[in-house]
Amino acid sequence: MRDAYVVGAGQSDFGSFPDESYRSLFETAFDAAVDSVAGSIDTDNFDEAVVGTLGVGGRQLGLSGPAVTEHVGLHGVPTTRVENACAASGYAVRQAVQAVKSGMADVVLAGGVEVMTDASGDATKYWLGVSGETEWERLSGTTFAGVYAQMASAHMAEYGTTREQLSHVAVKNHAHGADNPHAHLGFTCSLEDAMDAPVVADPLNLYHCCPTTDGAAAAIVVSEDVVDQYADEALRVAGVGAASDRVGLFQRDSYVNVPASAEAAATAYEMAGFGPESLDFAEVHDCFAIAELMAYEDLGLCEPGESGAFVTDGRSDYGGEVVVNTSGGLKSKGHPIGATGAGQVVEAFKQLTGQAGERQVEGATRGLTHNVGGSGGAAVVHAFEREEVGA
Amino acid sequence: MTGNSIRAVGAYAPRFRITAEAFEEAWGQFHASGIEEKAVPGADEDALTMAAAAAKRALATDGSDGDEVSHLAFASTTPPLAEADLTSRLGAALGVPETATRRFHGGSTRAGTSALADAVAADLDDGLALVVAADCPKGHLDDAVDHAAGAGAVAFVLGGDGAATVADSAEYATPYPGTRFRQAGTDRTEGLDVTTYDRTAFREVVTGAVDALDADPEPDAVAIQAADGKRPYRVAGALGVDNAAIYEVATVQELGDTGAASAPLSLARALAAGVETTLVVGVGSGAGADALVVVHDDEEGVAADLALDGGANLSYAEYLRQRGEVTSGPPDGGGAYVSVPSWKRSIPQRYRLEAGRCLSCDALNFPPAGACESCNGREGTEPVELPGTGTVEAVTTISQGGAPPEFAEQQSKSGDFAVAVVALDGPDGGSVSVPVQVTDADPGSVGVGDAVTAEFRRIYTQEGVTRYGCKVTPAE
Repeated sequence: MRDAYVVGAGQSDFGSFPDESYRSLFETAFDAAVDSVAGSIDTDNFDEAVVGTLGVGGRQLGLSGPAVTEHVGLHGVPTTRVENACAASGYAVRQAVQAVKSGMADVVLAGGVEVMTDASGDATKYWLGVSGETEWERLSGTTFAGVYAQMASAHMAEYGTTREQLSHVAVKNHAHGADNPHAHLGFTCSLEDAMDAPVVADPLNLYHCCPTTDGAAAAIVVSEDVVDQYADEALRVAGVGAASDRVGLFQRDSYVNVPASAEAAATAYEMAGFGPESLDFAEVHDCFAIAELMAYEDLGLCEPGESGAFVTDGRSDYGGEVVVNTSGGLKSKGHPIGATGAGQVVEAFKQLTGQAGERQVEGATRGLTHNVGGSGGAAVVHAFEREEVGA
Repeated sequence: MTGNSIRAVGAYAPRFRITAEAFEEAWGQFHASGIEEKAVPGADEDALTMAAAAAKRALATDGSDGDEVSHLAFASTTPPLAEADLTSRLGAALGVPETATRRFHGGSTRAGTSALADAVAADLDDGLALVVAADCPKGHLDDAVDHAAGAGAVAFVLGGDGAATVADSAEYATPYPGTRFRQAGTDRTEGLDVTTYDRTAFREVVTGAVDALDADPEPDAVAIQAADGKRPYRVAGALGVDNAAIYEVATVQELGDTGAASAPLSLARALAAGVETTLVVGVGSGAGADALVVVHDDEEGVAADLALDGGANLSYAEYLRQRGEVTSGPPDGGGAYVSVPSWKRSIPQRYRLEAGRCLSCDALNFPPAGACESCNGREGTEPVELPGTGTVEAVTTISQGGAPPEFAEQQSKSGDFAVAVVALDGPDGGSVSVPVQVTDADPGSVGVGDAVTAEFRRIYTQEGVTRYGCKVTPAE
């Protein structure tokens, strides 16, 4: 199969924007992605578009893909909406890669969008739970904070993981997000802040939970046959892996990790021909602090049970073995459900093209994105490598 | 009189209690004399869930299964729905056959004794009768009915060979309007509170029913309707007993007015204590009374499991919250939509924890649907009822604001709650994991590895239909 490359990626600001619509946010992301392409790219160049969105609020549940692509002048282009909960646009990127690798398309737009902050608190809580296993898990009285908190309780019981270690995830990611102009919660927090916040679902407090966010992100995936028309250096999609699992936590083989993440990562590493030891950075799905810790273990950044020490020892921060969530992660950058996976690719693009500013990981050549749907019912991992492609 | 006799008795009262002092502090005085404290249903309890809790205890202590029941009677003045056959749900929670005779007795606090008298005379076709009385009356907050209003449930298993026989029974009714009534369309019981008139009505129907018995019962104990802790004793002299004969089996002083379950709960206490002859008098306003003489054969003994102890005291403000008096009802945002037909299909799992054993690999599956959790095979499963004991594998406490909207009302009533993944034990070893809410416990007190047992409770209400199902409580 031929190679796929990311030649551009961009995002809207992540935050709460009463004056923006899902379409205007997507337009901002699309324009930013187009602008980020070194060469010139036009709407006529796109063969395909894949849009991830859950449709929080219900606004345009049907045909939500064409509803945003028509808005940016891509009407006529075959557009598919991908729904895999919080992994929607990670899967959109994967589908773009598949389209390119298969030979069916040379230039594919992969993006995502979500508006989450314009509804009442109760309506928002309804939507936040729709991707949990509805008939049993949700009706035991939980939303995702509760399910991840259950995983945290099991991780603590199994490995002795502590609240303080969870809080270190928040401190690190807020420190990174403070340097990201697009971040929703772009401020630093102290360990004390992150320890003493109000409890949401014990043991998780407010600082162990990501916000609900409005935003959009988009990436442009092209084939090896045309990549030199758009860039001199690009991100080669070295590996891609995905896996599904049971939607409800209670039916999974493990409560102390996300088996779909581990399987997706193994597939991606095998395709890439390199493993976690050669990564310079990773954007991981830290919807809750425990999710980042489990991601370290599932992605092979550390051994099972060692993730708490991994973060407190600084091994996932600048100067450590692999810098995790340079963008601020879902915790600080924000988590507009359908846009999150594509947003991670935006950060990977910036890091691997040297455009990450204050957040730049020096000499970054390999990075990974990791996007999870629900509490682990779907996961997708991309491994990227910087490559000279110029003619 | 011959007929079916009582083999076993079970009783249940909610763990929440409020004291007379808490009412005095809130109101300046307490209008229900003779009550020291009373039971308060939790936000996820009602007459149906209490009935199921009492009935499960009665069946278990009798060593019987629900499928042996051929006559199911449910008595309550406070059924959670004014119209709908709740005996079908109660029967489903207990595994009673669909073809069993079912009777609902309501509309009067006599309902419990009426149900018992009917079951004594019923043709059981070699099966068992299960008579359940459960009540949780409410009044206007500032009157005596509400100050006295308690909660409790009691269940009797009857058969041809029980140790306690109903030797005699009689009834009496005559009009006394205004003594105690509940108008159509309201959940508040009231009374005109005409002191002498009310006492006269009580005395006339009690003595009228007792006098209609074939013989003077000469009781060792009197299990009599107790709307408060004082009125029953006004007829002690007329019944030829001293106050102790009433007090020793009374529950009103600790549970409050338990309505249709009042006299039956006292009978339960008498049977559990081995009292030889108990005069049972259920009184309904309006007014009427049933009198039953229950004679207990000491040598056989009646199996009894009475779970009537309190576990947590409420302040008056907490009492108002728990009962929904000061909460705003369900939120506007809607909730997860599980249609009533799809809920109905899962009732064997929700009510009785019916799991499935994989025909291919023997692994337990819950719910038993789709590919096997263990081998991924689709050969199907055979139904397996789980005993309802288990161990917490993962747990969280959902704090204020963290509940999905369908649980927001419950949370505003009863506060934070724990939600766990519990490994429920299989009947012959093994286990299967189920997500389940923890009730009747301080949420922070439940941890990974703790033992729990299943209870039948209200889960949530949508479109006016309350969905009942399984929760767990810490194992005793």
